[in-house]
Amino acid sequence: MARMKFICDAERCIECNGCVTACKNEHDVPWGVNRRRVVTLNDGIVGAERSISVACMHCSDAPCKAVCPVNCFYTTDDGVVLHDKDLCIGCGYCFYACPFGAPQFPQAGAFGLRGKMDKCTFCAGGPEKDTSKAETEKYGRNRLAEGKLPACAEMCSTKALLAGDGDVLSDIYRERVMRRGRGGDLWGHATAYGVKASSSPAPVQPAPTQQKS
Amino acid sequence: MISPKLFLALGAVVVVTACGEKPQAVAVKPGQSAAKPDDKPYQNEQFKGDRAAWERTLRARADNQNEYKRVN
Repeated sequence: MARMKFICDAERCIECNGCVTACKNEHDVPWGVNRRRVVTLNDGIVGAERSISVACMHCSDAPCKAVCPVNCFYTTDDGVVLHDKDLCIGCGYCFYACPFGAPQFPQAGAFGLRGKMDKCTFCAGGPEKDTSKAETEKYGRNRLAEGKLPACAEMCSTKALLAGDGDVLSDIYRERVMRRGRGGDLWGHATAYGVKASSSPAPVQPAPTQQKS
Repeated sequence: MISPKLFLALGAVVVVTACGEKPQAVAVKPGQSAAKPDDKPYQNEQFKGDRAAWERTLRARADNQNEYKRVN
């Protein structure tokens, strides 16, 4: 196995928010914390509107890991970036470093006091005994230890959001591009995994607006 | 008027107070994670430490995301 990755095919995402709901439900994420969310670009522009499901991309060279003052992040053998909530001091440095805005902070008290950071775990839990009560309460369900992929991707109705081994995802995406005859915008892929596309995708142009006669 | 002995004793208390303070800094080594060690996802009753079996299961599920294979 190469490493775990997320891919969001912007050509397919229909902004249904099924991934967001699946994540919220699977991990019982508190109000105000969104491990995953759907972002829409060029909203309302015909032909140029694209939606992308965004969460922690589990970067190859994770900037959150680099800036953490207490070194609470670690990367598993499968490339999943996780953190130890017992060490996190809620400083928020990771939030400023992350290019995807993934780290979330629950309100821990009055005057906007930040709690310990919470983010997508690729449904892999955290540094507690796998599938234990402590792990589920702190980090959410550990689906990877059950031999399952992240709930968001498995729930995606159009399979815009793919999760799993990078090699398998590449094969799936390659086949899609071959069949539809054009490359989609793999948003965030180069930022997260440092793999530059052979040719940069052409910018999306809005469709010509029809003038009323 | 404070006696010199009392003055010295109070002075000593003030001077050595910091000696009883416990270090509060987190032991951070650059480039090394301070997180607790995590279990491997295949070290459980279901996979019994068999990484290959775990990988096969995940690969099958990942392949299932390809509807071209699933439908045709």
